[in-house]
Amino acid sequence: MKAIHFTLNGKKASCEVQDKELLLHTLREQFSLKSLKEGCGIGECGTCTVLIDDEPHYSCLTLASKINGHDVKTVEYLGDAELLHPLQKAFIDSGAVQCGYCTPGMLLSAYSLLIKNGDPSDDEIKEAISGNLCRCTGYIQIIEAIRNAAGLCKCKS
Amino acid sequence: MLPDFASVNPETKREALAFLDSLDDARVIAGGTDLLVDMKRGESCGNVVDIMNVKELKRLSVNDGKIIIGSTVTHAAISKTVILNDMAQSLSVACGWVGSPQIRNMGTIGGNLVNASPAADSIPPLLIHDAILSIESKDGMREEALEDFIIAPYETSLRPRELLASVCIKGLPGYREGYRRAAKRAAWAISRLSVAWAISEDDDHFVDVRLAIGSCTPMPFRPRDVEEFLKGREKNDPVIREAVEIVAEEIRRISGDRPSFVYKMPVVKDLVQKALRG
Amino acid sequence: MYIGNETNRIDALDKVVGRPIYAEDLSVPGALFGCVFRSVRPHALIRRIDASAALASSGIVKILSYRDIPGENIFGIIKKDQTYLAEDRVRYVGEPILIVLGQTEEAARKALRLIEIEYEDIDVISDPFISGGSRTLIHEKGNLLSHRKVIKGDIEKGFDEADVIVEHTYTTAWLDHAFMETESGVGYPDNKGRIVVVSSTQNIHYKQKEISKLLAIPEENIKVIQATTGGGFGGKLDVTVEGFLALSVYHAKRPVIMRYTREESFLSNTKRHPLYIEYKTGARKDGAITAIKVSIIGDTGPFASYGETVCLRAAVHATGPYEIPNVHVDSKMFYTNNPVSGAMRGFGVPQLAFAHESQMDEAASMLKLDPFDIRIKNALKKGSLTATSQALHNSVGIVETLKKIEPYWRKRTRESGKTGFGLGCMYYGIGNTGVSNPANACLTITGDGKIALHTGACEIGQGSDTVLAQILQEALGLKMDDIVLVRGDTDTSKDAGSSSASRQTYISGGAVFDAAKKMRQYLDEKGFYKGRSIRDIYNSEADKKLLEHNGFFDPPTTPVDPETSKGSPYATYAFATHMTEVEVEKETGSCRVKKVYAAHDVGRAINPKNIRGQIYGGIAMGVGFALMEEFIPGKSGSFDNYYMPTSMDMPDVEAFIVEDQEPTGPFGAKGLGEPALIPQAASIVNAIKDATGVRAFELPCHIERLKILLEKAKR
Ligand code: FES
Ligand code: FES
Repeated sequence: MKAIHFTLNGKKASCEVQDKELLLHTLREQFSLKSLKEGCGIGECGTCTVLIDDEPHYSCLTLASKINGHDVKTVEYLGDAELLHPLQKAFIDSGAVQCGYCTPGMLLSAYSLLIKNGDPSDDEIKEAISGNLCRCTGYIQIIEAIRNAAGLCKCKS
Repeated sequence: MLPDFASVNPETKREALAFLDSLDDARVIAGGTDLLVDMKRGESCGNVVDIMNVKELKRLSVNDGKIIIGSTVTHAAISKTVILNDMAQSLSVACGWVGSPQIRNMGTIGGNLVNASPAADSIPPLLIHDAILSIESKDGMREEALEDFIIAPYETSLRPRELLASVCIKGLPGYREGYRRAAKRAAWAISRLSVAWAISEDDDHFVDVRLAIGSCTPMPFRPRDVEEFLKGREKNDPVIREAVEIVAEEIRRISGDRPSFVYKMPVVKDLVQKALRG
Repeated sequence: MYIGNETNRIDALDKVVGRPIYAEDLSVPGALFGCVFRSVRPHALIRRIDASAALASSGIVKILSYRDIPGENIFGIIKKDQTYLAEDRVRYVGEPILIVLGQTEEAARKALRLIEIEYEDIDVISDPFISGGSRTLIHEKGNLLSHRKVIKGDIEKGFDEADVIVEHTYTTAWLDHAFMETESGVGYPDNKGRIVVVSSTQNIHYKQKEISKLLAIPEENIKVIQATTGGGFGGKLDVTVEGFLALSVYHAKRPVIMRYTREESFLSNTKRHPLYIEYKTGARKDGAITAIKVSIIGDTGPFASYGETVCLRAAVHATGPYEIPNVHVDSKMFYTNNPVSGAMRGFGVPQLAFAHESQMDEAASMLKLDPFDIRIKNALKKGSLTATSQALHNSVGIVETLKKIEPYWRKRTRESGKTGFGLGCMYYGIGNTGVSNPANACLTITGDGKIALHTGACEIGQGSDTVLAQILQEALGLKMDDIVLVRGDTDTSKDAGSSSASRQTYISGGAVFDAAKKMRQYLDEKGFYKGRSIRDIYNSEADKKLLEHNGFFDPPTTPVDPETSKGSPYATYAFATHMTEVEVEKETGSCRVKKVYAAHDVGRAINPKNIRGQIYGGIAMGVGFALMEEFIPGKSGSFDNYYMPTSMDMPDVEAFIVEDQEPTGPFGAKGLGEPALIPQAASIVNAIKDATGVRAFELPCHIERLKILLEKAKR
């Protein structure tokens, strides 16, 4: 067992993890962050995506002990139902959500792009979410949502 | 489901080497994108030395036309480093093709080399840049050319208590460089065939041609015969056609005729031809 | 107006904040974890099983075999021939044999490795062509599951009248649904002693019935709830974890969780049927198709699942959306020891569309006609007779979809040797084929002054909740706030049928509409439309039973003739045209889909945003079907070797909605889920031919196949 200290969704967090524990399970079980999904468990689908230091990672292949001292974000960081992030709002408005299983991971990859690039091209958007599979939407409304949110975020800043 | 193991997170290279020396049945983990998948599929080991926090291994430095890439530099970092794009374009392009954005954020160049997959994207570009690996253990340091380091598919000369510390390549100023691959989908796909090239030429002659081919033979390789053949040759269609045939011969010499060559041979030929033409 | 609005989905808010509870997210204290021990042999007798070491290993509570089944060890949507747990024989790799219940997932999965089993191999039938004549029987009654014919007119005469004949064979691969959420669920005993199963599913009432038979417990003592479901596409229609969960709870008397790994999902989930299609088309100089003769051979694997449906539906749709006077289709579905094939978005029709649309282009090219013109010439119109001699009276929008595409087709310009354009058309019967397939819906007034819609229709991501709510709003003139949806629970709803066959908008929508009519009349009588509040109406109603209004809709169909398939198997059809531009990289054989124009006749667009979402998603699946997806038994087991499109594989899409209203549909609506996919692969194949001169007869046309075709064409 190891004690780890990290920042989780903007707040300090600590917990004990097993040496072989995966971040996906730590966050789901110890922190009840059920928005992370395990669509494959081996880094091939993207549903378990988290941001570590604002870059997307697969939590199913990340040992929890690795995040000691780092910043971890899940979709809960973006916003909740009472105060949605513009990106979440854009996902709703563009119809970017169907079954929703890929959605939290997709939002995080998109968010990571938008904080680095306020005006991404469609190709940049496609590349940014190319590590998140979606079987329902064909990605088009997701891309549209990200494009629209980029505009919104920029206006705000 | 991962098997049980104990892990340590050293922060210096020295610590890491000491752990490797003292722990039995230890495996090094960096990004985890290969090792953890293998372990979920049944491989096991008693100890894991996680080198991701070791600062010395994360460095990327340029000195005197030489580039030293620490073994835990990620694919994302390589593909986005401007200086690499200038000095070793094929490598930065190739690293941009590895896996997905997440995999590139996690996976490291060292991991790619130690895993030694025939389809590893980073290997052909490193081969044309004459990559030399520096390998360390508690007892000292050795250097080995990448070409010798990989001894069979998924097998390297790395010994149990050793650590791959860095890769050194030389820039090839004045060369035109590139990397192309064939894969079954537009992104996040294993390459079915890849070609890296660096070519220096004057108006109508090849001066120095470096080629490396991946996903074709058991290990990515440089077709030395054709490189030799092209030295100083005139750059014209017959020469290029002949060069392409020599490449095909070299491939057959290495691995005989394989069923997959129905596809791969014509692709190699077309890609090499395109690369030579520029 | 609530219909036709760009209304946001009612489940989207929850989903963007990560709040919905999928089956794996239910935390049930004290739950056991259940794992399935599966066959590694394709066909073998089970000589001996020794699970004692597994049972003795730490954390293992129970191991169940078929002997522990109190009721019938058999299930299946039409023909019940699939065992939950193998008895003395296994028939495919991945067939469930035992259920291991452990205190934790880890304990259960570890124990799987301790089970010893001895097999005695039997002849393996891995080829549907050999299956029919083989003496090895997969089922006692023989290896032919189904044989259907569609006969119309005089086939010989039809070919005699033709000026050209086009004849080719087309084959397709197994495909996996690859929904992002694997099969999962939770079971528990409730405080009334009933067995409750919460799962990721497309049909709760069907599962309730099957579990009732499995456990020999009356249906009312089984409750099935749909958890938020991470995609279905047909793969969550058959019983997956539900039976095992119910059986486990029955024995363990405590909660049990199950969740397939991705590998397990690949291994055990039903696949799209690989079809072998021989197709002969006769056409006159003016482009009129005079006859088609089609032979279809399918491989359903060792169990029927939806094999009969696919066999018939493929046959009925073999002509495509064209009026062809002389038709002869012969469709056979055989058992094999390959993976179980079942329902997958389109039930055989995408495979046939690949064939008939390829034929259409070939015929056009032989006749030197424009591919667009030959299609419009033969397209079904009002009054046309389909292949089953059904007269189409209403809502026949194929020509209109073609016309939407026409301007883009006429002004296309290709870059020679690199890019190309292709068309794909389709029609698709909404709902089940030639059988009654009703839906119920129930409306009640609640004490807090709302109208509650009780429906058994499963929202699997396709958007049925939103669409049904919109239909209700429109019919009653109510705001969203006045409505509550009570759904996905066998206790609170009557059977709405499965979320499959593109049927929920049309059929459950019809049932909601029917209930709403009654509710509207009631509300009207009670003065609601003169300003009285719903709460007031509730409070003043002495007999609360009068607050409930039931709706029902069963599309008017007739069974098809067993010999000729004459009949009206569907009450309505959807129509579509796709036009696709591709770019082919000749050196590697890789084909990039650049742009798709897709026009769909949906009857009436209830929710255009949802419709576009379905179209885009269908196109993505079509891109996968055409270019990369292929399940290879024994090889495919992860997304590393089963590729489906990423964001970077997707073209730009322009979607057009055609509204040729269907009088029997709610506000004129039909269905769309499957049509969105059906013509896509066909249009890609045609575009590749346009770009390169080579035609793919085998899907997927992935880089290797395409490169080899290009090489052959050089010689
Ligand atoms: S669960 Fe699929 S990538 Fe992590
Ligand atoms: S919305 Fe279902 S997987 Fe993306």
